[in-house]
Amino acid sequence: MTRVQLFAGVLTATLFLANHTLAGGFQLNEHGARAMAQGGAFAARASDGSAIYFNPAGLGFQSDASVYAGITTISPTISFYGPVESDPGVKTSMVSQTFTPFNVYLVAPVTDRLVVGIGAYNPFGLGTEWPNGWAGRFLTTKVDLKTYFVTPTASYRLTDQLSIGAGLNYVMGSVMLGQDLAVSSVDLPTSPHVSVSMHATGVGYNVGLLYKPLDVLSVGASYRGSVKLDAKGNVSFNPDYAALALPTGGVNTTIKLPATGFVGVAWTPMKDLQVEADYQFIGWSSYDQLTLHFAADNSETVAPKNYQDTYMLRVGGEYTMDAFHFRAGYVYDHSPVKTEYVDPLLPDANRNGVSLGLGYDITSHLSVDAAYFYLKFDQRVAVNTIPQTSFDGTYTSHAHLASVDFGYRF
Amino acid sequence: MNAWKTTAVAVVAFVLVFFGGCTDNGPGVFAPSLGSKTVTKYVAIGNSLTAGYQSNGLYQSAQIYSYPNLIAGQLKLAGATLGTFEQPLYSDPGTPGADGKASRYEIISLVGPVIGPRGLAPGSPLNLSLARPYDNLGIPGAVIFDFLDSASFASKAVPPRSNPLFALILRSAALGNSVFAQAKALHPDLVTFWLGNNDVLGYATSGGVSPAAPTSLAAFTYLYSQAVDSLRAALPNASIVVANIPDVTTIAFFTTLGPHIAAAVAASGAPFRYQKHGETGVASGNTTFTEATPPLICLTGSAYAPLLGQPTGKWYRDKGYPSLPAGIDTTKPFGFHPQNPWPDALVLDADEQAVAATAVAGFNSAIATAAQAKNAVVVDINAFFAGVKANGYFWAGEEFTSEYVKGGLFSLDGVHPSSRGSGVLANQFIKKMNERLGTKLSYVDISALPGIPAGLSKEGNAIPIIPPEAFQELELLWGSR
Repeated sequence: MTRVQLFAGVLTATLFLANHTLAGGFQLNEHGARAMAQGGAFAARASDGSAIYFNPAGLGFQSDASVYAGITTISPTISFYGPVESDPGVKTSMVSQTFTPFNVYLVAPVTDRLVVGIGAYNPFGLGTEWPNGWAGRFLTTKVDLKTYFVTPTASYRLTDQLSIGAGLNYVMGSVMLGQDLAVSSVDLPTSPHVSVSMHATGVGYNVGLLYKPLDVLSVGASYRGSVKLDAKGNVSFNPDYAALALPTGGVNTTIKLPATGFVGVAWTPMKDLQVEADYQFIGWSSYDQLTLHFAADNSETVAPKNYQDTYMLRVGGEYTMDAFHFRAGYVYDHSPVKTEYVDPLLPDANRNGVSLGLGYDITSHLSVDAAYFYLKFDQRVAVNTIPQTSFDGTYTSHAHLASVDFGYRF
Repeated sequence: MNAWKTTAVAVVAFVLVFFGGCTDNGPGVFAPSLGSKTVTKYVAIGNSLTAGYQSNGLYQSAQIYSYPNLIAGQLKLAGATLGTFEQPLYSDPGTPGADGKASRYEIISLVGPVIGPRGLAPGSPLNLSLARPYDNLGIPGAVIFDFLDSASFASKAVPPRSNPLFALILRSAALGNSVFAQAKALHPDLVTFWLGNNDVLGYATSGGVSPAAPTSLAAFTYLYSQAVDSLRAALPNASIVVANIPDVTTIAFFTTLGPHIAAAVAASGAPFRYQKHGETGVASGNTTFTEATPPLICLTGSAYAPLLGQPTGKWYRDKGYPSLPAGIDTTKPFGFHPQNPWPDALVLDADEQAVAATAVAGFNSAIATAAQAKNAVVVDINAFFAGVKANGYFWAGEEFTSEYVKGGLFSLDGVHPSSRGSGVLANQFIKKMNERLGTKLSYVDISALPGIPAGLSKEGNAIPIIPPEAFQELELLWGSR
């Protein structure tokens, strides 16, 4: 029975921000244009600097010092039809945005068998923004999650066929969340807009193994441990009605990025042609709930997520002709989000993607890779969404991705 | 070069065939429709809940959010040619109470908080000259008996009913000499019918005192089936949608004060003493609110709750007792002594709750039977509110509960829905109509409806203080019939 319970109680912790999530399926798969052009099926070759992401053991087979750096643009188009609770016929389009994850990898052989490297890249990220005043404004208006991994890596070639590698992940992240606050009782001139901004750090590791039993066959496996991100920041409300006693000020949470593992097989069926197929496991069940803790009134909100472990299938190939490398690939990405947990923060769905790309060796030292990727989400029908969401409807999504990377071999 | 060309062609073909281009095909167009129904006239029959009565008054800014008016809006979106859905609008601040001032409650101060009438001059009727019956025939205070009763409307304005709203809403016998006659005269093809609440609510909200019993089940069953039979006979082809009666214990009127008093009782260590049904003097009721069915404290007790433990005779002064009832000693601590107990009229004890629950169950059974016999659709409001009480109600990220004020569903009198609550009710009707009548109506956007008006300059407190005289209207509406 606090003093403000009767009225401010409309905003008590059990309700407040209960729907916040950092969304799921927010893994990014663009870590180098060469790999992206082949559907990201690269763990069994890992033959450029992006090995630091795909399989650190790949460095052990790289005899030259190199730099590999580039950028990707991601342009998603997402629409929502609903909510069924009011009018299933209303279409809302997400605000158009373009995201630009980058990658930089440095590789340096130390001895004939020991190769070290360091990479910076964005394995997880997400951005969704819905129009002001839209039907789901009490769930979300904006989410922006960025992660930056910095990964010093070492790889050792045990034999001419077998290499191992390991890296340490230092992770920095930023999280921005926006929504309007539902005050179900009294009439407010303007619903308070909630803005949460947090920064996070965490540490993780990755390991890998690459085995080439035959000249035409290689097998790779890698594993990246989950990373616990401790996020701290501020929450603000605009307008901040004093009578509502909103918990302006400190906010913190813990986000557990999922562990993930690759197993891949690459084959060279004929001269100048390489093909690869990979299976990727993603341990999304680590993301079972999201708890935000508010310092001002020591309250907490818990949003159930209950993501499921999931997988991706990747196939791709590369055909080399003189200085040109022609690439193509296909990806199937199985959604970790159960139907009742689908919400507009990240309207996830099973995805199919196709990629095309071209590499060109400008000189014997300098090369450029370009890739295009089209990602089509299955239409996702959210039904019987959990009470805190209560937002049924249909999501349609697709995305265009383009990437360019430059490589320099010393 | 041929290999590259072949590969490129194959990949492009794969992309085109597999993905069919880059367009997102939505789930198809949803167009609200009436299905096979034709709706040219919709009439709503009921009581205060249907009238759009809110916060202890009838006033325009609440009437426009009555659930029938919201349903009419959704019907029009689906192509119903209703014209204007006519209501007995009454300008803000609304209808007068017994003192001649507007009876509407407002949040007077968030400090306290203090809730009650502001003592404003009342509004006036805006639509009296309509030359036909109103489409919204919800009359605050109406019981099931009133539907077919052809007694003069003016006779209900004087004691014992003392309810001027029959004459205000039904106006002239020339338009029809009963609610039924006026509804029939409109030739509706859609009727919603929600009566019967007041046949138990008056008993419950008066703490089982006035009236001392709900309408008898035999009388209710007879009157209800007679009502539905009459409607069906008069309107053989109309869609008739009836709603049943929620358990009275789900309303904020009964759930607000109890927890505060229970906390005060727990803090004091002494049991709460209250009068059981029919007691006027020394009380036999005795509780620490830990039993399975603790007494429910009426919201009408809000002005007395802060006096717990004090020597006070405020209740008897407010009620104009010429002398204290036998056995009462107001020098004893109020609510903690059998000789200065919490009054019977402010508590619904376990026996009274059982009487109310039995009445509700019986009434709802009678409603289901009568509706089935005459091909009327039943909206199970009772089940809906039981669910809200247990789990709350969520809408697109917004949570509603049955709690007073902060829950968002009830207006300031704790009995009648807020505008958003009316939207929730309208959606229950719409859902059932879509299920049973084959209509495809879209739902009311709850978050677009206004909340309870409140100044937001100060913090609120735990126990709402509602002046005792503020409840006169409720007592007049339900007190006798």
